Amino acid sequence: MRKLLIALAALAALLPATAGALTDEETLALLKEQDQRQRQTGDFQALAFIERKEKDKNDLVYEAVVYRRDENDKLVILFLQPKEEAGKGYLRIDNSMFFYDPSVGKWERKTERERIAGTDSRRQDFDESRLAEEYDGKWLADVKLGKLEAHHLELKAKPGVDVAYPVLHLWIDKNNHNLLKRQEFALSGRLMRTMYFPKWVKLYSESKGADVWVPKEQRIFDEVEKGNSTTIVIRSVDLKPVSDAYFTKAWLESKAR
Amino acid sequence: MGIYLVVALRNLLQAKRRTFFLGAALSMVAALLVLLLALAQGLTENMIHYATTLASGHVNIGGFFKLSPGDAAPFVKNAPALRQIVKEEVPEAVFVLDRLRGWSKLVSETGAMWLSPVGIDPAEEKHLLSALRLAPEHAYKEGGGDERPGDLSRAGHPGEIVLFAAQAKKLEVGVGDTVTLVTETERGVTNSADFHVAAVVEDMGMMSAWSVFISKRTLLDLYRIAPDSTGAVMIYLEDIAQTDAVLARLQKILPERGYTVLEHKSEPFWQKLEQLPNEDWTGGRLDLTTWEDEASFLKWVITAFNGVSFFLIAVLLVIIVVGIMNTMFMSVRERTGEVGTLRAIGMGRGRVLGMFLAEASILGLFASTAGALVGGGLALAIDAARISVPSDAARMVLLSDVIHLSTSGAHVAAAVIAFTVVTALSALYPAWRAAKLRPVTAIQHVS
Repeated sequence: MRKLLIALAALAALLPATAGALTDEETLALLKEQDQRQRQTGDFQALAFIERKEKDKNDLVYEAVVYRRDENDKLVILFLQPKEEAGKGYLRIDNSMFFYDPSVGKWERKTERERIAGTDSRRQDFDESRLAEEYDGKWLADVKLGKLEAHHLELKAKPGVDVAYPVLHLWIDKNNHNLLKRQEFALSGRLMRTMYFPKWVKLYSESKGADVWVPKEQRIFDEVEKGNSTTIVIRSVDLKPVSDAYFTKAWLESKAR
Repeated sequence: MGIYLVVALRNLLQAKRRTFFLGAALSMVAALLVLLLALAQGLTENMIHYATTLASGHVNIGGFFKLSPGDAAPFVKNAPALRQIVKEEVPEAVFVLDRLRGWSKLVSETGAMWLSPVGIDPAEEKHLLSALRLAPEHAYKEGGGDERPGDLSRAGHPGEIVLFAAQAKKLEVGVGDTVTLVTETERGVTNSADFHVAAVVEDMGMMSAWSVFISKRTLLDLYRIAPDSTGAVMIYLEDIAQTDAVLARLQKILPERGYTVLEHKSEPFWQKLEQLPNEDWTGGRLDLTTWEDEASFLKWVITAFNGVSFFLIAVLLVIIVVGIMNTMFMSVRERTGEVGTLRAIGMGRGRVLGMFLAEASILGLFASTAGALVGGGLALAIDAARISVPSDAARMVLLSDVIHLSTSGAHVAAAVIAFTVVTALSALYPAWRAAKLRPVTAIQHVS
C-alpha cells in the first residue's frame, strides 16, 4: 500500500512536467522561432558596453560599436573605450575573423571562436542566432526559473557541424518565448559558461518586414574560472542600412586613426 | 733575450709596491673574466640541457595542421611513418621519441594559466623522468615542509599530471589536488579534462614555466586527433655538433618523400602557432627545428648577459690600460738615465722597446695567470656548492634554480692570453717613448 502511494506521488510530481512536453517537431519550431526572431535580413548597428570582471583584477568596461550584415555574415566590432583600447577592432569577412591593433598597425587573423577583447564573450554572442541550423533540440522539462515558467531544452550539435560548444541547455520563457538562460558544455560534458538574458527589446525592421528581437543585456558567467564574468549591454540599436565601406579593413584602419 | 727578461724581472721587483697593486688589479679582472665566461658557459649548458630535456630533441620533426586558414593545431599525422624515415636516414640518432604538444588553459579552484601540455609515453621518457626531481612542499605551498610528496612513476599515466613548482604555486595546488585542462579540439570544439596532480617537480628555469606533462593518450583524446598523430618526432644525436647536418639532410629528404615542409624559422613551435592563422594555406605541413630553434626565445638571456659582461670587462680593462700606461711612464721616467747609458753603450732602439714590453708582458702573464686560476677555482667551487638562486626573477634569467658555472682550460687560457696581450699593448707607447730617447738627452736628464 505504501509503495503504491509513493508511486502515485511520483507520478503526480511528473504530471505537470510531462503535460507540457514538447515533441521534437515543436522543439525544432521553437528553435527556428528563436533564430527567426533575432535574424535581421538587412543591416544591424548598435552600441555595446562590455563589462569584464575577473578575479583579482580590476573591473574593465569596454565601449564598442557593432555593425552586422547577416545576409553575408559580415561583422565589425570597433572599440571606442577605454582609451588604450580605442581603435582596436574585429572584422569578419569571407568566413575569416581579423583583429586590428592600431598600436602595431597590423591585422591578425583570429579563430572564429575568438574571445572578444579577452573577455568571456565570443564572436557568436554578437552574431546572429543559428540554433536550428547547428543543433538538434530535445525538450527536457518545464521548470520554474524564478517566477517564470520555462521550457528546458537540450541541444546537441548536428554531426559534421563545427561549433564551439557541442551541447547547450536553453531555458525559454513559456509565455513570450524569450530566451532566458543558456548553458554551454564542453565535449567532456563539463559546464563551461552560463548566460542569462534578463532583457529583450524588439524593433521593427523594414528590410525584414517584421520585428527583430535583441537581447539588451547578456550576463555571461565563466563556470570553469569561477568568479569571472562578463556583461554585455546593447544600446542604440539601429536597423537602417549601413555603408558597404564599414565592412572593410580600410574603414576600420581609418577609424583607428 | 734572457738578459732582457732578467732586467725586466729585476725592475718589477724593484718597484714592489707598484707591481703588487697593478698585478692584483690585473689578477682580479682576469678572475672576473673567467667567472663571467664560466657563468655564460653555464647558461648555455643549462639552455641545452633543459631544452633537450623538456621541449626538444637535438632535431625535431614537428608540424601543424590547419583545418581552415584561421585555425592552426600543432600536430602531424602518421608519426610511425616519420619515425621510420628517421630510422632509415639518421643513423647518428641515439634514440628517438615523439611527444604531443598543445596550448591550453590549466584551471584550478583558485587560478588559471595558459601553458603547453606535453603528452608523453612514460615507456619512452627515461631521459625526461630521470631529469625531473620532486620539489619540496615549501617550494609551492605556503607553510609547506621539506618533504617531497608525489610519485613520478605516475607521470604520463591517464588522468595524472606533473606540474612544476612555480605553476603549482600560482594555481595554489599540491599533490593529489585536481586541475582542469580546457582547450579546443582540432575542429574548434571546446573540450576539457580533469587531472590529479601526481607530482610537483623542481623548476627548470624559464623553460619549465609553460610545460606540464600528461599522458599522450589523454592529449590525443582531448584534441580528438587520430591515434597515430604526434606533436613532434624528437631525434637525439650521438654528438650535438651533428645537429645542423642532420637538419639539412631531413630538409632535403622529407620533400622527396612527399611531405610539405615549412620554411625554416628559428622560433619555438608556440610562436609559430600564434603566427600561422595569418597564413592562407590549409592541411598539414611539417616543421623541422633544432634544439636551438625551440629555445631561441631564451637566447636574449645569453645575449644580454654577454653584453653586460663585455661592457663590464671593457670598463675594467680601460682602467687597467690607463694604470699600466701610467706605471710604465713612471718606470721610463725613473730609468731615463739607465736608458741613456744602455743606448750609449750600443743598445739599439728596438731592444730598449723590447725591454719595457717584456716588463709589462711578464707582469701581465703572471698576474693574469694567477687571477685566471683563482677565477677557475672559484667557478668550480661555486658550481660544486650548488647554491640556490633565491628569487624567481633570477631563476628565470639564470635558467636554473641553482647557480651553474662551467669553466674549462680554454677559459683560463683565453683570459691569460687576452690580458697578457692587452698589458703588452698598453706598454707599447711608453716603451716607444723610451726607445726614442737620444742617449745624450737621457744622460743629461739624470744630471
